[in-house]
Amino acid sequence: MARMDIKHIVSFAAWMRALAWSYRRLSSIETSVYLLCLLAVSFIVGTIFPQGGDFDEYVKEGGRFVLLVEVFDLLEFFSSPLFLSVALLFILNLVICTYERYKALFMKRKLPESFTPTKSFLVTQDAIRAHEETRRILMDIGFRLVDKDNAWTAMERGLPYRWLTWAYHAGIVVCLAGILFTFLFAFEDTITLNAGSPQTVIPATTGRVQRIWQDATPQTDYHLLLDSFTTEYEESHELDYPEDKKARLALGLGWKLPEHRISSDPLFATAWKAGLKAVGSSGTVLAEKEIEINEPMKHGGYTFYLMGFEQRLKLRVNDSFMPLDVKADDDVIIPGSTVKLSLGTLRSGKVKRLDGSVEELTPYVTVKDSESRDDPALLRLNQSVIVDGNVVTLVGFTEQAILSYRYDPGVALLWIGGIIVLIALALRLYGSYYLLAYRVDDADAIVSVNFSVTSKGVFAHPERIEGRIEELLTEGDLKPLALPERP
Amino acid sequence: MSYDVILSRDSFLLSVELRIFWAIAFIYGASLLLHVVHIASRGALAGRAAYLLLWAAAVPHAGLIIYRTFEAGRAPFQTLYESLSWFACSAVLTWLFVSRKWRGFYLPGALVSVLALGASLYALLSRSPAIEPLSPSLQSWWFEWHVILAFFSYAVFIVAASIEICWLIFRRRPAPYGLAEDKLKGFHDTAHRLVLFGFPLLTFGIFSGAAWANEAWGRYWSWDPKETWSLITWTVFAVYLHSKTVPSLKGTPASVFNILGFICMLMTFLGVNWLAKLLGIPSLHIYPV
Repeated sequence: MARMDIKHIVSFAAWMRALAWSYRRLSSIETSVYLLCLLAVSFIVGTIFPQGGDFDEYVKEGGRFVLLVEVFDLLEFFSSPLFLSVALLFILNLVICTYERYKALFMKRKLPESFTPTKSFLVTQDAIRAHEETRRILMDIGFRLVDKDNAWTAMERGLPYRWLTWAYHAGIVVCLAGILFTFLFAFEDTITLNAGSPQTVIPATTGRVQRIWQDATPQTDYHLLLDSFTTEYEESHELDYPEDKKARLALGLGWKLPEHRISSDPLFATAWKAGLKAVGSSGTVLAEKEIEINEPMKHGGYTFYLMGFEQRLKLRVNDSFMPLDVKADDDVIIPGSTVKLSLGTLRSGKVKRLDGSVEELTPYVTVKDSESRDDPALLRLNQSVIVDGNVVTLVGFTEQAILSYRYDPGVALLWIGGIIVLIALALRLYGSYYLLAYRVDDADAIVSVNFSVTSKGVFAHPERIEGRIEELLTEGDLKPLALPERP
Repeated sequence: MSYDVILSRDSFLLSVELRIFWAIAFIYGASLLLHVVHIASRGALAGRAAYLLLWAAAVPHAGLIIYRTFEAGRAPFQTLYESLSWFACSAVLTWLFVSRKWRGFYLPGALVSVLALGASLYALLSRSPAIEPLSPSLQSWWFEWHVILAFFSYAVFIVAASIEICWLIFRRRPAPYGLAEDKLKGFHDTAHRLVLFGFPLLTFGIFSGAAWANEAWGRYWSWDPKETWSLITWTVFAVYLHSKTVPSLKGTPASVFNILGFICMLMTFLGVNWLAKLLGIPSLHIYPV
């Protein structure tokens, strides 16, 4: 029994030693370097294999690394156990280093026993007066006392770089927490809205964690309503630029002029906007915004983004009672004809012309025989074109907005962490910090003051600080006998 | 104004721009040639001439970018043609600014002029200079900051890598090329200071890119090849900065990390487009032709 206990104690002690060793390794910057290298290599692996690709497809297409792809899950590498293990080790290293730095902030600073002087002065006063005068001058130019335990007196000036270094490491930890929240809780889906028809938001999927306790996906207690959909265009010209490199050189040498021309469909969509409303069950408007790309609407934990639009056209063929309902930007076979008609995107809304004028477009769509190489014809609203002897009239159209929506509680944390990182990093690397140590020597009635100045920050200029000290020493009572010399 | 007048005006403005850009590319080429002569002959005259030619190209190049801004009516970095021009000019201007402290030492200008010439010729020979309206997704404050800061950091990293490469190759005998041996450490420290300067810019560039993606597409990160390569670049420069604090790594290994960071930066800017096309990986960041 006693032997068993001793065995347990020995193995427990071994475990504790291993744990302490791991902790020590993970708190070292050298480990950070190796883990960052490992992380960089794993990122590269993720860019070589198409992420989100289908394994069967990869095999079918004759992928050369089938075994590796299967074993290491290389097509979903950034959520594979291998990558997550490397990331976890790095996060542990970062958290431990951040914690160790935090503890160090409140400990007494360890400064070297001795410094190498960068400037020395011989002075006429006695040692005590030289010491007092030097301290006064340094305090006048903003230095504060750090340590005066040994022969050297250490003073500092500038931003608290140790706090800043800790702050941006802590900021990265907050960012990683945000990424973890996204990984665990975020989900997204798309919804297509028809103008005037309210729709409930029912995502097809939820986050990894919600799946554990939710049987069905959540449904919002409000409806989304597309109030309006508008498009804006800019008329642009086309550059007839040669493919041949010699012809391009000829343009550069001025032997030829580049030429612009107006193409058959010169309108370039510069904005599409959807008037969106979140309507409660009683019909009250809970939120309202005209969304566009880069301008989403936030409501009820979701963010709604305008991804694109879909247009449907109503084409009347001859005098048929029921118009054809077809998709724009698609091919359609006209009944009673063998011609496949290629329809372009419907253009409606405001256009800014090349000459700067703005006008409202009469809605139109480009149409052409899909097998013809001719320029397309324009089919305007309530006007007709003849297709293979049939009169095709555009009698109407509808527009739908395609929205993506996302629930992501990690974004707020990322913002907080990101801002901390940016501010702390900028102040730490761009701000200036000086650590100055001085010592007054009194040997054989010759008094000298030795300075050692070190700095941190890209814009720190220790030579300017040394120059200023020299100037003030000369102005004051200290009267250096010799000009400063490099030891 | 009639359409014919507008088309002729725009063609004329573009022809002026192309002629000036070609002339600038030729000057970058001449500077590169003189840098090569300087390296081979160790003659200060060739080095000084190469340096002055960089000034002669960079100043009109900056003017050309301003001209393009007015011509297009927007910030000039929407297409790869514009980005390459910006990349070349900013790298040369950064070197000219940094080199003020190292008068008489021209070697790092060689790599800078190689990149400036390469980027200019790539823009002129392989990309279209057409000015097109901004697509909705690019109309964002975040996009502008994202590109400006990323390119600013690229320029700084190019010069840092040039200094690092010169240090690795010529550290044993810098004197024939105009650098006194007692200044060698200070010169090498400049590479470290430049990375310290560029690193927050790259960090903000990545952050603003993520913020832009979140506003435009609802996903701040999608492991797109370009995004991932920017993270690789950031990681490698983080490795470099950390290795400068580790006694066993702060010498040559750190210098190698700096150069690797520069290679990753080139991959992020150009190589990833090629890689994505080669491997058939879809990317939101592949520049339209």
